[in-house]
Parts: sequence; C-alpha cells; structure tokens
Amino acid sequence: QKTVTGTVLDEYDVGLPGVSVLVKGTTTGTATDIDGKFSLNVPNDQAVLVFSFIGYSAVEQVVGNRSIIDVKLSPDETTLTELVVTGYTIDSRRETTGAIATVDPKDLTVIPTGNVEQALQGRVSGVTVITNGQPGTTSIIRVRGFGSFGGNEPLYVVDGVPVQSTDFLNPDDIASTTVLKDAAAASIYGARASNGVIIYTTKRGRKGNQKLRVDYNGMFGVTTPGEGLAMMNPQDFATYTWLAETNQARIDNRAPKYEHPQFGTGNTPVLPYYINVGGAAGVAGPFSAAQLEEERAKYNVDRSKGGVYQVVRAATGEGTDWYKELTRNAPLNRHSIGLNGGSETSRFFIGLGYQDQAGIMKNNNFKRISLRANSEFDVTKKFRIGENFQATYRQVLGQTGGNGGRGVSADENDILQAFRMPSIIPVYDEFGGYAGTAARGFNNPRNPIANRDGLENNRNFNANIFGNVYAEYDILEDLTFRTSIGGQYNNYYYWNYSRLQYENSENNSSFGYSEGAGFNFQWVFTNTVSYKKTFGKHAFDVILGQEALNNGSGRNIDASGQNPFSTDTDFVTISNLPVSSRQVNSGLFRGVNFASYFGRVNYTFNDKYLFSAVVRRDGSSVFGENSRYGVFPAFSAAWRMSSEPFLQSATWIDELKVRGGWGQMGNSNPVPSTNQFSLFGGNVGASSYDVGGTNSSAQIGFRRTTIGNPNTQWETAVTKNIGFDGTFFNGRLDVIFDLWQKDTKDLLFQLPIPQTAGSNATPPFVNIGQMKNAGVDLLVAVKGNLSSAFTYDLTVTGSTLKNEIVALAPGLNIITSINPSYRGIQPIRNQVGQSLSAFFGYKVEGLFRNAEDVANHATQDGAAPGRFKYEDINGDGEITPDDRTFIGSPVPDFTGGVNFTVGYKGLDLSMYLYTSIGNEIWNQSRWFTDFYQTFEGAAISERLKDAWTPENLDAEIPVVEKTANFSTSNVGNSFYVEDGSYLRLQNVTLGYTLPANLLERWRLERVRVFASANNLFTITGYSGLDPAVGGNADTTFGIDVGNYPVTSGYTFGLNLSF
Amino acid sequence: CSDDFLEVPATGQLAEAQLTTLAGLEASLIAVYSQVNGRGNRLASPSNWVWGSIRGGEANKGTDPGDFSTINPIQRFEVNAASGDVGAKWNGAYEGIARANNVLRLMTKKAADVTDADEKRISAQAKFLRAHYYFELKRDYGNTPYVDETVDYGSGLEEVSNTQDLYPFIEADLQYAVENLPATQTQVGRVNSWAAKAYLAKVYMYQNKFSQAKALYDDIIANGVTSNGLKYDLVPYYDDMFRGANDNHQESVWAYQAAANTGSVNNANPEFDLNFPYNGGPGGCCGFYQPSFSFVNSFRTDANGLPYIDGSYNDPGKSVKTDMGLQSDAPFTPDAGNLDPRLDHTVGRRGIPYLDWQDHPGAAWIRNQPNGGPYTPKKYVYQVAEKGSYQDNSSWTPGYTGINFMIIRFADVLLMAAEAEIEAGSLEKAREYVNRVRTRAKNSELKRGDGTAAANYNVGLYTAAWTDAATAKKAVRLERMLELGMEGHRFYDLIRWNTVQEELDKYLAYDGAILVAALGGAKFTDKHRLVPIPQDQIDLVGSDILIQNPGF
Repeated sequence: QKTVTGTVLDEYDVGLPGVSVLVKGTTTGTATDIDGKFSLNVPNDQAVLVFSFIGYSAVEQVVGNRSIIDVKLSPDETTLTELVVTGYTIDSRRETTGAIATVDPKDLTVIPTGNVEQALQGRVSGVTVITNGQPGTTSIIRVRGFGSFGGNEPLYVVDGVPVQSTDFLNPDDIASTTVLKDAAAASIYGARASNGVIIYTTKRGRKGNQKLRVDYNGMFGVTTPGEGLAMMNPQDFATYTWLAETNQARIDNRAPKYEHPQFGTGNTPVLPYYINVGGAAGVAGPFSAAQLEEERAKYNVDRSKGGVYQVVRAATGEGTDWYKELTRNAPLNRHSIGLNGGSETSRFFIGLGYQDQAGIMKNNNFKRISLRANSEFDVTKKFRIGENFQATYRQVLGQTGGNGGRGVSADENDILQAFRMPSIIPVYDEFGGYAGTAARGFNNPRNPIANRDGLENNRNFNANIFGNVYAEYDILEDLTFRTSIGGQYNNYYYWNYSRLQYENSENNSSFGYSEGAGFNFQWVFTNTVSYKKTFGKHAFDVILGQEALNNGSGRNIDASGQNPFSTDTDFVTISNLPVSSRQVNSGLFRGVNFASYFGRVNYTFNDKYLFSAVVRRDGSSVFGENSRYGVFPAFSAAWRMSSEPFLQSATWIDELKVRGGWGQMGNSNPVPSTNQFSLFGGNVGASSYDVGGTNSSAQIGFRRTTIGNPNTQWETAVTKNIGFDGTFFNGRLDVIFDLWQKDTKDLLFQLPIPQTAGSNATPPFVNIGQMKNAGVDLLVAVKGNLSSAFTYDLTVTGSTLKNEIVALAPGLNIITSINPSYRGIQPIRNQVGQSLSAFFGYKVEGLFRNAEDVANHATQDGAAPGRFKYEDINGDGEITPDDRTFIGSPVPDFTGGVNFTVGYKGLDLSMYLYTSIGNEIWNQSRWFTDFYQTFEGAAISERLKDAWTPENLDAEIPVVEKTANFSTSNVGNSFYVEDGSYLRLQNVTLGYTLPANLLERWRLERVRVFASANNLFTITGYSGLDPAVGGNADTTFGIDVGNYPVTSGYTFGLNLSF
Repeated sequence: CSDDFLEVPATGQLAEAQLTTLAGLEASLIAVYSQVNGRGNRLASPSNWVWGSIRGGEANKGTDPGDFSTINPIQRFEVNAASGDVGAKWNGAYEGIARANNVLRLMTKKAADVTDADEKRISAQAKFLRAHYYFELKRDYGNTPYVDETVDYGSGLEEVSNTQDLYPFIEADLQYAVENLPATQTQVGRVNSWAAKAYLAKVYMYQNKFSQAKALYDDIIANGVTSNGLKYDLVPYYDDMFRGANDNHQESVWAYQAAANTGSVNNANPEFDLNFPYNGGPGGCCGFYQPSFSFVNSFRTDANGLPYIDGSYNDPGKSVKTDMGLQSDAPFTPDAGNLDPRLDHTVGRRGIPYLDWQDHPGAAWIRNQPNGGPYTPKKYVYQVAEKGSYQDNSSWTPGYTGINFMIIRFADVLLMAAEAEIEAGSLEKAREYVNRVRTRAKNSELKRGDGTAAANYNVGLYTAAWTDAATAKKAVRLERMLELGMEGHRFYDLIRWNTVQEELDKYLAYDGAILVAALGGAKFTDKHRLVPIPQDQIDLVGSDILIQNPGF
C-alpha cells in the first residue's frame, strides 16, 4: 500500500475541486480539495485510479511506480452526462425525467446572426425556428408546435429573469442554453410554460486563485445578396405588352388595338430612346449636346420649386436588374472580449461585445454593443452573494416588417418593388435624380433605391440594462435558501424622415418627420429553498419557491408632422414643424403582475427509479377576480435500466433511461392586460368629427374600444411524453428520443363576435377551442476518434410535427376574423380538423385548353381558354365558394439538422445542415410578377414566356391578358401554393488551432483561426427568392409577398485566449 | 402577496362610469357622427361611389384591372357571399350603430348633471344617426339584424335574426328625431329637425309611402332651414356646392363635415382618396371612379335644351364625342353639340377646364384607358386654390379633402318631392320643382378664363305643361341622374323605380361593348338587387339566424 498524491486540472489548467478519485473495483476513494489536490492510499502498483466529475470525461490511470499523478480532465461533451440548467435549479441530465434539450454554446456563435435565438434552428429537436435574412430580425420560435392562435412565444429566462426577448444578448456571453419542452420539465414555470421555456445562463468565471483568462473572439465577413428573380428585359417586356393585347382581343373577339405611351401604336412595339422628357413619354433620341443643355436648364426635381422636369433615358439590352441595384455585399464584423477570473472566494466574468452587421439592402444595418459583468462572492462558507448585469445598446436601421422584422415577408416592401419595376426604367435620370414610374405607362411601382436612400438619416436605438442580484445561504448542509431580484429597463428613441417623392407615378405630397421615445421596466423577485439529501438508497431533491413579477410597465410618446421650413436635418425638430401639422400621441401601460408559489420533489430510489412531482400556483392580474389563479401540476418518472443487473452484461450500454411524464402548463400570453375591462377610447383617426364645421379641426369623441370579460381563465396545455436517453459504446453514441403530444384546451382566443356589436370594440379573449400538437423528437450523436489525431462528431436532430385544430366554439367550425388579405386574396382559413392557418382556396386543375374545355367544365365566372380551371369539389356543376378547399399548410411536417465535425491535429472542419420538409408556401409575389393585368405596365416575370397560348395548350402559366376576374388573378387558388421544403447548408467552417509549442513560446493559451461559409447552398423546389418564409404571427406565416432572403455569406475569424 | 398586487387597472382609456356625465355623453355622440363617412373603409361611406354610382352605371371602377380588384365583381354583378368587400358597408354601418347604441345605453345610466332636455337633444341625434346607418344597411342588404341599446355582447346579440323589417325601426328613430331635435343648432355639424324630416321623407319614398312623404316635403320646401339657420334653397352656381369655403350652404340639408389637416386623413373624405386623375392634376392618384359613356351621353340636350328622356342619348348622332383610343399628343376637338353644363361640373373630359387646374389632357391623366375609358370624376375634387386648406398632405397621396360630402341636398329633396307630387297627381307642381333645379343648371355654364363657355351648353326648362304621369316620371328620373350624378344615388333609385334591369341592360350593352375586358359579358340579374349577407357573419351565428338573401 502506498500514498499517491496529485492535482486534477480542468481544461484551463485550473485545479478542479470535488473530483471523485476512486480505486477501480473498490469503494476506496476520495475527492479533490478546493485546489484540485488529492491524496489517496492505493493497495498496489497495479491499482487503477478512476477520476470522474460531472460534466467531464472520466480518466483512468494505472498507478505504476508513480507517487504523484497529475491528470487533466476535459469537458465531457457527451450530452447525457452534462449539467442542465433549469432556471431554478441545476441538475445532472442523468437525473432528469422531463424532455429537456441543450445547445452547445459554441453552436450559438458560428453563424453571425444578430439575434441569438436564430441559432437554435435545427439544433434542438422539437423547436421550430422560422426566420428571414434581415439582420436583427426577430424569429418565430415555437417549441413543440403551435399551441394556440397567438401568443405562442416560449418563455425566455436569462439568468433567472424572465424576459420577452433575448435580442439584447451577445452570443459569446452565453454559458448554457436549455430548452424545457414538456410539462415535466417546464411546469415549474406554471402559467407561462405552455409554449416551452428557453433558459439561458451567462458565463460566470471560475473560483480558485488563478490568473486572469482573456478570450477574444472575432469575425469579419460579408453577406452576399445572391440572384434576384428573372424578370423580362425591355424588349421582351414590350413584346409581351403587345401579346397581352393580342390575347385580350382574341378573348374579347375584337381586333387588337396596340397602344402604349412608350411603345407606340404600331403592330410591333418600338422601344423609345427616352421614356420621360418633361412628362412626355416615348421620345426619340438621342438629344444633341446642345439639346441636352437646354433640357438641363429645365431640369427640376424639387417639387417645392415648381413642376418636376426630368429627362430619363430608357435602359437598353437586359435593362436594369433592380434586385442587383437594390442590394449589396453587406459587411459584418463581431468582436467579443471575455475576462474570466476569480479568487478562493469569488469569481467574475466581464464580457464586452460589438457586432455591426449590414443587411443586403442599403441603409439596413444592425448594431449591438454590450457589456456584461457577472460576479459571485463567498461572504462566508455558507453565504454567497452575486449579481448578473448587462448593459446593451442596440440599433436596427431600415428594418421592414412588423413585430421586430418578422412580418417582412408579408409586406409589399422594397424587395418586392425590385420585382415590380420594369427593367426599361433606369435607376437615375440623365441629370442625377431618380428615375421611376413618373415615366408613363409603367403603373405604380416605386423606385426602391430612392426609397432606401430616403432612409439614410433615420435613426433609432434601444438602450437597456438587465440583471439581477442574488444571495444564497446554506441553512443546513443540505438546505439552501436563495433570494434573487432582477429586472430589465429598456429605453428607445427614434426619428424618421420621409422624403418628398417626385420620381413615381403616385407620389406623396409632403416631407414628413416623426420622432418618439419610450421606456419600460419589468422586474421579478424570487425566493427558493432547496434541499438535497440521500438516505441510503433514497435520494431526495426538493425545491420550494415563491415568485412575484411584473412583465413591463412604461410610457411612450411619439410625434409627427410635415413640411418644416427647411428640410436640413440639423434644423428639423418637432418644434420646427408647422403647428397645424403636428400630431403628438402618447401611451402608458402598467403590465401584468404575477404572484406565484411552486414546488418540486424529485425522489430517486437506488439510483434506478426516479420520480418527480411539480406543482405551481399562479395568480395574474390579467384575469378577473373569479378566475385569477391557476394550478399546474406535472408528474414524471424514469427508470435507469442500465443500472439493473440484467443489463450489466450488455457492456455496450453505458446508460439507458426510459422516461415518461404527464403534466399541465398554462398560458396567458395572448391576453392583453385590459381583457377583463370594458373600455372606451378616443382617437383622432377612429372617432373624431368636425362638429363645428371648421374644415380644419376635429373634436375627439369616445367609442367603445374593448369589450371586457372578467371570467376569462388560463389556457391549459396538457403534455404527455415518453422517451429514452441512452449512451452506448463507451460514449460514442448518444440517443435521445421523445414521443410527445400536447393538447391545448380552453384556448385563449378572441372569439369573433358579430359585427352587429361594432367593429371597433375588440372582443375579449375567452377560453374556447382545442388544439393538438404531436410529434417525435430525436437526437442522435456519434463521436469518436479514428486515431489520436483524428476525431469526428456527428449530431443529427430531427422532429416531426402534426398540428391540428381540434375544436373551436360550439357551432363554429371556421374562423375568418383573423385572416389577412393581400390585394383581395385571402390565403388562409382556420378550420377544425386542419392545421393552424392552413392555405385555403380554389384548386387549379389546370388551364382551360380551349373553348371546348370551357364548355365541358362546370360553370365558372370568367372562364376562357388559358385561364385557371378550378376543380368542382362538390360536383354541382358550378364553381362557387363552396368549391374552395385546403391546398396546403405552412406547418412543416419535419425539421431537422445535421452537424458534422471532424478534427485532425490542429485542423477542424464542421458542417451544419438544416432541413424543413412538408411545409407549403403561399407565393403571393406571383400575383405581381406572373400576371400582366395586376398593375399593367409593372414588371413581369420571365415565367410568362411559358404562358398559355393557342400553341402552348399544356402551359401552367395563365394566358397573358388584361382581365382581372375570378378565373384570372382575383381569387386565392393553388397556383400560389408551392412546396416550401428545403435543405440548406447553413454553415461550413474550417478552423486551425495553433500547436501547443508555438503557443507556449507566445505565452498564449489558444489561438484558432477559421474561415466559414454560411448558407452556401439551398436545395429547394421553391420558385421565390428563398424558401425560409417567416411571418408576422402564427396566423400569417409562410406567406411570401416580399421575403427578405437568407443568403450566402463568408466570414473569417480568430479565437484567442491568454 | 396581497390580493391588491393582482389588481392592476387599465390605463389610458376610460371606463363606462366616466362617460355617463353630460360631457361624457356629448363626447360619445361625437363618435357616432364620426363613423358616418366609414373612417377609411372606402366602401362604407354614404357617398356610395361603388354601391350607388358604379352599380348604377354612372361610372366604372376605372384604373387598372388588378387594382382593388374586389370591386371588379361588384361592377359586373358577379359577387358572391364570400367575395372581398361585400361586408364593407355592413361593418362600417354596424360600427356606427354600435356607437349610437353606446350613447343610448350610457344614457340609461345618466349622471345627475344630465337634464331631460339634454337627454332628448342627445338621444335624438343618436337616433337620427342610427336610423341613417340602418337605412344604409337596408338599401344594400335588405333586412339585417336589428340591434338596439338593449342588446349587447353577452345579452343575446348573436341570437338576433334578420327576419324583421328594418323600416319601422328606422321610421321610429327618425320620428323621435323630428320631434326632439331643434330647428337650428349652435354647431353646424349637428343634425336638426329639418334634416330629420327630409330623411324621414326619403325613407317614406323608398317604401312608396308617397302621401306621407309629400306632406313632409311640402313643409320642408316651404319652411326648412339648415342647422345654421339658412332657408333651404339651391346654390346659384352648381359647382359652388362642392367648394370647401361654401360648406354648410343653403342647399346642405345634411352633410358629413369633412376637415383637412386634423391629424388624420380619416376626417378628410378618405373614401375618395383613389378617385382622382392619374399622373397629374389634383391627387395624382389613382384613376378610380371613371364616369361611364352612357352617363356622359345622358347630358346631351336637344334644340330646346331638354334631355332625351326616352333614353335615346346613346344613339349614334346623340352620343358625346370622346377621345377614347387617343393619346394626349394626338389632336382632339371636344364635342360641339348641345350639352347640359352639369356634365362639366361632374365629369372630367378632354379639352374642358378641369376646375382651376388646366384643360383636361385626356389620356395623360388616365391610368388605363382601355380598361376604364377616357373620363375622370370631378365632383368633390379640390381646386388648386384649395390645396393645403381644404386638402390634406399628411398621407401617402394628396387626395384627401376637407370638403363636406352632402348626404342630402336640397335639389335631392326637390326632385324626390317632384316624384311624390306625380304620385299625388300634381304633375305641374312636379314640373315646377324640376324646372327650379334646371334653372340653376342653366345658370351654371362652365366658363373659360376669357369668359367664354367651355362647351356648347344648352339647357332649357320644361315649358309645356305635364299631362302624362309616365312622361313626367321619365323626366324626373333622368333629372335625378343629371343633377345628382356621381353622388351615390343612382342604383338605389333604379331599384326604387323598379327600372334596374332595363337601365342596367342598356348601360352594360353600351359600355360593355367599349370596355370589353372590364365590362363585356357582364349582366345584371335579379338577385343582385341586394348585396349578399357576408358569409363570415353567417358562419359566426349560423344560417338559421342570419338568413341569406335569395339567390346567394
């Protein structure tokens, strides 16, 4: 027998306390002290020491003739042995019974997204992330489907503080990301948990006397805009303008009459040299130098100085590629410095972050500067205090789309304008002004480059501080009390100018200015007592807690007006706007208060049988007195089969745990804080009247704005989950599998009430209807090494989702009150038995081949050869609204990701693919580009070259013509519906880590350089710009009017530690 | 936590108790007036430019086939219950009704500072306006659910069927208004008892209650005054009615008080924002609401200055010369034949001064001539001189005006009275009323800057005694179109006279042959006398409660 001593170091060569050191095959063992040192008596030189610590790979060492054994443990990245931060507690994955997923922090940093939640796409099974390419955009995150008609956002918890958005976080500051998916895991958050909970913690430093560690992560790169859609060049555009007349004349049974202000009146169109000379169209040219000088003298684009006079030369050849002109290669860079350190009794982390990312359109930029300072101190051995703090400056310029940019795809924005502007129009006129549809004959698109330039001086920013302070006291060895108070203060300010247009056919009539600001403050106060104790074979882990919070109170003010004396931006303020034009509005809100109690008991018998019970009782001010409280229980159990004797012989099984759980979670997200009250309001736009007959002022009146319902209650989601966690083949294979179902009942839903109650009064949210979501979540991770130098790691996540509206109100099977409408086309319908927001309309059987085909088909308004032939669903011989049917769903059947990493010595190569399968897209942009008659004169797609003609009877593109009716462009039908499935290589990174000998010479810990390509390719059948089509809300996603595409980008970067 | 913690009051809005005071009731009444113009819902206004004038064949949608294409099936009489915008008027009117009901409901809880006189004054205005909204519904949809202040959310609102005739309720509300409104008001925007009488008479006319209507008309024509105390009369020069500075003139029986630069263009006739010439002139956008060929032709007069009441104005030789198919740089001389000058106060046509802007240039101001024809609307368009004062620049287009829209004007009263007189057998009284209207027309020649007439105007009076009721009816009916054209009355008049089929057949045959792509093949069928009950409303309460109109 001899004594062996040594030190156990972590991956940063810092002593690791609490490491178990065991002589293999015996019960002899010890644990390392605070410095990672140990001393142990071993029986002989053949003894094998096993060093193990949660979160680290176990290391075995034969003692041999050594008396000092130093080992270095490296973090065990096998998923199943990791620690899981669940907000109120930190558990070992081994002991959990719920459906919980985690994300490797470094996965959040590889893609240069502005908002950290975008990086979850494909990383976590069961989480749907729908986003777009606009920097700083907010994504739609849905955990296990769509539980309700709105308010399906998961609860975000950062360092124990619930927040509405995580856009202030710097990805490099994040230490852990956990997604609680089922009730067993999430019910501890009770009333706010039904859409899942995403928990972030930030880096905290390490205890122990150690030198300061500095990490620098930097990247710079570029996002490329890719190619636009193929639109017709000037000559083809003119030819098809004539073809439309030829076809229309045939349909109308008359002689064609060719005319266009630019292309003349001949039998063939003639391209003009100038498309606008002082308002005249179709002018021959070119002008001589002298003539041009004469024109220059008449030139005027300042409407305040009189009539506009422009000279615009027609673009020739392929014409203007408006998408190319509108977009740019957009630079990005991100830098983070993390300072990490501690003493015996303290630890801290300071993070400084800077990200500046340009969008592919001009004056569209995202910028974030953040400072994080986390620290923790041991006041005594039993008493610890700490804090998390972050200050963030965030700026998103030129963003379009409501809800933080989410709604961009459904907007008629500048990207759509690029595909509406005819290629014959140049970007600029002959003397430097903007060209546009002021040149006659091109209808009403607006020059998108002028639009973007007009945003140049607009500014806005958010400044917010976020954090909490906490104290922990060990009342007994196993009993800890923790109290925490935290919150977020957010402030924003903006000012915008709108230029006086002159270049369009439809111009505004004034220079506008607006300015506004607001703040909000939210807070949370949490107290918990936790108790963890093992009695023989019985292990208990108990937490009891109380929480009170307010989700945000504040005020805002905004003002606007027109036509200041001077438009010099140094002059323009609200005060300098004409008094008569000024409008000022403000608001105040107090938020919702929650008061809650919660508890959880975990019991483990013999390390094999795990039981967990959770309950939370929430009270919320959003509900009336009678229905204010809700109780949300959950129960789960797990069986660690791998601990059973009968599996001991199966040495390929390292760990196998079968789990099952049931529970209830609540939701009140959709409900506005005023839901219980009937309220009245005044508003100049909605309820004012010039009762005095002044012609220039209006007195504001009051009308009912809200119908209240004091009896509204929580929406409840019941989840059922069974699954297993397994680790096999010495940690080389991890599998996490879950089969789940989530039934949401008492849906909080603004049940439409008849218009007879008045359309201004918002109906209350009431509890009605049921929604079902079900699916399978799977994670398979394989890793290992072929030699000591060559390692590989493959992680596949996949999830299926089936979403169905099970019930609405009694006697009500469909809701149309929430349907959006785009140019008279309503793409969706919510109906019992269908998925949320399923696409609805007439089903196109094909195009009418000829008159005979029309005659043989059911009666259809506007039917003619080359137009849509709708299926007579009910077979009554007539196409009526009853023949509309469901023609697709934006909800994907399957989403998944593949992450593949190989390492060879210092080199590492990783690839990350994402796929979404089985979702459809409503390509509303085709209403503009694929029909000549929808704003005649605006650009048309190259696709029209395959349109129906008497010679092309099997075409899929309708005849090019000038009629807008039921059988052409006027109603929603399956022509707009396309398969939205895609597979995208989101990221490829090649990195090189410098070898240790070099680092030592330079006194550096780590140096890695890398090069990445993002979104290198996308495999899809979708004909629009990009199949990743987001949406403003759960009821409008997957509709592409002017989607902001996710495009390829390239980044280079450096990771440096010393 | 104490329970107080979970009591968070609503902020920035009012509760019911704060509105039962006199001030609260007055402010709630303002909101009822406010809704009259539909507040930005372009198809909910009593201007009825789509439901009344376009469906009546005075105009077509115009512009481009794909623009606001939900109007296409309306003008072609192809709507179904699920078509877009069939519920526009429904939604707008019921919001007005809800606001009126709100006032009357608050009144039942009135505070101590509200006197009985206050109650009558306020309730009478609310009831007048409620009657107006129901009348608008009745004309478009037939019977709709009658909801008053006793029915609300949670108290049977969804159970109210549309099987009851609305007219008795409308009459009762108007009768209350007649009895309780003052003859003049301190604020001109408020309705008076004379407006209530004129409205009630109109409602009688829609039910063919001619004698009751005549009794009211006799009183109104003899004694009626506007809310600001002007004795009812015709404005001497036709176009002066439509100028902002003249608002609330002697002809204005009831007008929506429009105002510019109030902070919201919803106060500035938002339903008209698309109805301006394209690419130049006032508004600059969007080329909607283009007068029809048939309508323009109807202004042709014969050698005596009388219109062709036999409807032959579309015949070759009588129809008005157009610049259809001509670009603006091609030469064009306007029609030289006899015309009623009201044409040139109602329709913008090439070569004729367009208010004080310039001579109408023809195609250059037309967005899509093959689709909409060569004409542009002219009534309620602002002058250059009205820019910025009676016009609002704060929105996306300058096409917002602070010019009152007249829902009932005295010429309308006179012509309806003429109809009532014919039914009573007093044809000569009818002729007198018609001639009163025609005299003003005669005095309303559009002049160029040099004082010459802009066209060959010739308006004569009916000098021969009227002896045949059928002929008299024809004269009055055509006079209504000439006088009130593009003001939203025509379709409802055709229904009232039961001439809708023949008149629209004639219009669609004539205009449909010219605007083939837009109107060709369109046909009025009987079921389209009414707009279908919006399907989404039936879906909500059930087809047993909300009964669909026949044929839909």
